[in-house]
Amino acid sequence: MSTPLTTTTVRILFEGQELEVPAGISVAAAVAGYAHPGHTCKHPVDGSGRAPFCFMGVCFECLMEINGLPDVQSCLVTVEEGMQVRRQPLPESIKL
Amino acid sequence: MNRRTDLLVIGAGPAGLAAAVSARDCGLEVTLIDEQAAPGGQLFRNIESPLGQQALQARERAQGMELVRAFRASGAAYCPKTTIWGLEPGRVSCTLEGVPATLEASAIIVAPGAMERPVPFPGWTLPGVMGAGGADILLRSGGTLDKDPAAPVVLAGNGPLLLLLAGHLLQAGVKIVAWLDTGCWSQRLRALPLMPAAALDPAYLNKGVKMALQVLKGKIPLIRGVSDIRALGEGQLEQVSYRKRGKRYLLGAATLLRHEGIIPRTHILNSLRIEHHWDRVQRYWYPLLDQDGATSIAGLFLAGDAGYVHGGDASQLKGSMSGVAAARYLGVISKEEAADRSAAPRKQLQTMRISRGYLRHLFAPHPQLFKVPDETMVCRCECVTAGEIRKAVAEGCTEVNEVKLFSRCGMGPCQGRMCGPALAEITAAACSTGVESVGSLRIRQPFRPVSLENYCDLHHPLPDQQP
Ligand code: FES
Repeated sequence: MSTPLTTTTVRILFEGQELEVPAGISVAAAVAGYAHPGHTCKHPVDGSGRAPFCFMGVCFECLMEINGLPDVQSCLVTVEEGMQVRRQPLPESIKL
Repeated sequence: MNRRTDLLVIGAGPAGLAAAVSARDCGLEVTLIDEQAAPGGQLFRNIESPLGQQALQARERAQGMELVRAFRASGAAYCPKTTIWGLEPGRVSCTLEGVPATLEASAIIVAPGAMERPVPFPGWTLPGVMGAGGADILLRSGGTLDKDPAAPVVLAGNGPLLLLLAGHLLQAGVKIVAWLDTGCWSQRLRALPLMPAAALDPAYLNKGVKMALQVLKGKIPLIRGVSDIRALGEGQLEQVSYRKRGKRYLLGAATLLRHEGIIPRTHILNSLRIEHHWDRVQRYWYPLLDQDGATSIAGLFLAGDAGYVHGGDASQLKGSMSGVAAARYLGVISKEEAADRSAAPRKQLQTMRISRGYLRHLFAPHPQLFKVPDETMVCRCECVTAGEIRKAVAEGCTEVNEVKLFSRCGMGPCQGRMCGPALAEITAAACSTGVESVGSLRIRQPFRPVSLENYCDLHHPLPDQQP
């Protein structure tokens, strides 16, 4: 929005890049709205790059790796200081 | 925490919060569980922070802040960050901040709200394509749609939310290169005779006019009568193409936001086999409820837009009424007191429903919306195309659950939330029949993915680890 933010911020790491984002927002919104990474996961069925679509827990397109844990629905997780976020890779067992 | 309570409320949007407040007011012990980290739902997301507050118009902001304040002061127990994946009468299975738990209650009010109607089109899985509601959440989180905040954005679709989003985008200084209107004009004309009733609700009408004026003042190029929208690009959206009067056009775009209206979230009640009805104008299923939101299962209520989409302030009224009804069901208030407490919200809701009747037609989805080309991926999870659905019908399937078995459409992690409506419409069209005749996906519990470990902890606990 056009008015300056008066909200507190936290720092997270996305693919090693530091992002300073408002406290209280979701990881999906932080990554999509501040890092603009293109895709955030490789789809396990067709291997295409996907990115968050609904931001409210419906579509499951926002799966990312958060603090080492894969398959996390990142639009339902709130950012925390020092959080390590990575794109969700293709599972190793899958050959396309 | 207490695992047994009088009333469990699921969802912290306008309906759930109001339900908790009114039930507490009647003297019930209440626990409210919600997926998000803070109360507010989608409409009042982050309302307790300046970021969430500045995203709303003054009237809504005040309304949301007052509701959350009342909820916090009500004495209801509150469990945020909780995903529920199972529900039976009197009992809910959920993951509470990562730990599986069973909660028991004498009555349950479900208030899962609504979601955008997912409409597939070629290229809709490309990064850069989003639901308009999703984009709104992104903006309300203080983020931008693209690295370059002035990169071209295309809006497509039909519905009041798109108008609202356009207003937010203009405020944020985004460059909207086109609004591709997919609405159906013959349907819209049917709204006209109902419009005079809108005068009953001047505040709402005012808001609508204000939003529309903003769009005009911002000079968003409005392109009417658009069909066959496609998103094009290599690994990322680059162009949007569409058809108008038989001709195809191409636009450069970094972001495409599609919105085709709001539909109730029905997974929980569907999994309990509650009867649903089909709205043939808005083209969605909605559960059969009494006027206070009671379902056909004793002690189970549904409040808010998940019952039928009337909007946030209507949801709040429905929530209040369900809270009272739950208290009456549990016998803590008399019939007279319940009638007394519900009288005001019921009357307000009635006026709202009459005054907004025209919206049902004005923003009706286009009947041809799902006439998508064969190569369109309908099920994003299992990568099933419209062509595969049509093939299953050609091979003899006449019902969506049969098509699902044949094609895997609807079998992925979202459990048909994103493809269910399109699957039904495409199947119906291929069978040359109506959506009512091809059924809807049967939802089974757990209605959200849960780890086997969490599931087993609750359902087959080892002797030394009773939950
Ligand atoms: S973005 Fe749709 S589930 Fe997270």
